Amino acid sequence: MRANEPSRPVGAWRSGWRRLRRDRRSFLSLLVVCAIVLLGVFGGAAVSQLVGHDGDTPFAFASSTNNRAVGPWTHVPAPAQTRLGEFGNLLPPPRGTKTTLFVLGSDGPLGRDELIRLLDGLRTSLEIAIGALLVALAISVPLGTLAGYFGGFVDAAVSQLTETIMAFPLLLFLLFANRYLIGDLRSVGWGSYVPEGAPAEAVLIGAFTAFYPTRLIRSHLFVLRNAEFVEAAHMVGASTWRILRQHLLPHLAPTLLVWGAVAIGTNILAEVGLSFLGVGVQVSTPTLGSQLSTVWGTIYNPQAYDGRLYTPWQTVFPMVTIVVTVVSLNRLSEAVRRALEPRVLR
Amino acid sequence: MRAANYLVRRVVRGVLTLLTMIAVTFVLYFAIETQPPVGQYFPAVTHGTPPTAHQVALVRHVFYLDRSKIGLYLHYVSHLARGDFGRYSTIEDGRIVEGAIIPPYQQLRTTLSILIGGAVLVLLLSLPLGAISGSRVGSWADRGISFGALVLVCFHPMMLGLILRSAGGTVNWLPTSGYCTFLKHPAPQGLVVVGGTQPCGGPVAWATHLILPWLTFALLFLALYTRMIRASVAETVYEDFVRTARAKGASQARVLARHVLPSASLRVLTMVGMEIGTAIGVCIYIESAFNIFGLGRYAVEVLGGVGPSLDLPVTATVVVLITLIVVIGNLVVDLLYAVLDPRVGLQQGPQRTKSLVGGVF
Repeated sequence: MRANEPSRPVGAWRSGWRRLRRDRRSFLSLLVVCAIVLLGVFGGAAVSQLVGHDGDTPFAFASSTNNRAVGPWTHVPAPAQTRLGEFGNLLPPPRGTKTTLFVLGSDGPLGRDELIRLLDGLRTSLEIAIGALLVALAISVPLGTLAGYFGGFVDAAVSQLTETIMAFPLLLFLLFANRYLIGDLRSVGWGSYVPEGAPAEAVLIGAFTAFYPTRLIRSHLFVLRNAEFVEAAHMVGASTWRILRQHLLPHLAPTLLVWGAVAIGTNILAEVGLSFLGVGVQVSTPTLGSQLSTVWGTIYNPQAYDGRLYTPWQTVFPMVTIVVTVVSLNRLSEAVRRALEPRVLR
Repeated sequence: MRAANYLVRRVVRGVLTLLTMIAVTFVLYFAIETQPPVGQYFPAVTHGTPPTAHQVALVRHVFYLDRSKIGLYLHYVSHLARGDFGRYSTIEDGRIVEGAIIPPYQQLRTTLSILIGGAVLVLLLSLPLGAISGSRVGSWADRGISFGALVLVCFHPMMLGLILRSAGGTVNWLPTSGYCTFLKHPAPQGLVVVGGTQPCGGPVAWATHLILPWLTFALLFLALYTRMIRASVAETVYEDFVRTARAKGASQARVLARHVLPSASLRVLTMVGMEIGTAIGVCIYIESAFNIFGLGRYAVEVLGGVGPSLDLPVTATVVVLITLIVVIGNLVVDLLYAVLDPRVGLQQGPQRTKSLVGGVF
């Protein structure tokens, strides 16, 4: 840019992006979240290309003779056929059998690759969490706008009802909805990329987390609808629809972005909880939650941790993945807040 | 006089909440087809025989489909007011079997033990931690506490429970599963089954069995409340009245305990009220992790489906008990608020806010 050129005004988004890029910690959190998403989307397929097996194939030699899963970084014999002895016991593979690498060990007595299942599970969990976020937005933006911009009697009635219901543990409503309302949606899925039951779970989580953004949007619009620029738009004859779309909803975007990053994290945690309640995808489908609930059992069928069947790694790896993902999403949310709303610097 | 007026208004509001929740239960029950097909009770129907009018009438009767809905609601509420939780009914061998509902009081006591003990622990830990962190923003202590809080917020109660349970199991100091009643059971008389498990009891057994559940509960909410107290304290330490207290020669500890924390605790209180429902949701997972059979798991089994169908009075009992915990908890919070802050106190009560953790735990 030449020196004598007049400097152009910088838009809110662009200046926000500049602030985000300049702050080292903020930018790092963005990079970490991007890396996690990329790992989730491509990681499972990439690793199974590299090691030559996928996450659903059981390997007989990936668990010991006592059915205990092998630990991290084990070369597991992968013969084309396993031979059984006279008592039905597994015979050791012949010498020189090809081995395959289990980077994080296997996932239990079945002997499937823990790393690939973890990455696939991360993908499914992210799909559910982001899907739930979209469902929550689809419910809360119209509802919150209706209540916040138009107000009146409907707003009062709806707020009173939501406040009453929110005081009750929502989890129980969700279980009820899962039992009676979801129905056929539970078998919707697309191939191995969106496993069966994931869309249903996203709808459930989304519907029951929509209360919070509804209140957020409502209280935001309550303040904004009396702002001077709205009055000005009214005066030049803009329609209500135009005011909402052009003037008010763009103002909500930063708030929703900050909330959205945290919400993806809490949705991932919600999925973890729901798999302990037996809600959601089938048990055989890996998600971050089902990785844990296969080891520890569900609420209807709690099982004590069995050290003969599992190594502690099968608890540690999913838990670390969950916590790292949720922490970095929270950091990203903070970073976005710092970048887009510089006035509320903390 | 004003105090009595305030109290009455709060109680009326609580009763209205209870009535709303029962109405929601009734509406959901009748709006959604929760009753199983006739064939479930009359096997012949599943094998092809068309159901007789009598059989259909029986099933309709058991599921209250032959009654006026509003009449049924009023009937239930009037019985509930007299402490009668109604009767469950089902069909066995072609006949209606009924019985009085015994509300799960033992489960209620169990869950209340977890809730109240956990809440006390949260308070005991989060106030000093938040005060230390908020009064020295940017110090190493503050950074450590803030980082710990950030990480703890990102745990699911089930995960925390499992970690503590396996840690407790490894160290073997504390019992890691089951619940003991606070009062001792009378010693079993007569035949004692060899090898049978004795029901345990007594305050010590009660407390040792609950330490890990309390800790799980506390760690989860600790993170949230420490953060909030920190923010609140960090704002308050620059207020004039704090400077005045310092100028009068009060020590740091005294300034924090007597001047800063009381005003910070008001904010905490406003959040507690909204979060009682969430806390019950968290209890479901804690009960599951430590193998305790409390109200949470009872509710999961009724609403989430172990039985073949939903029984209206049984469901309503669960809803009533949980709503009662929430309503009474809120009443206590409102009263405490009025005591702690005489300015707003009797006028309006606390502004309701809810932290983000109130997703679907």
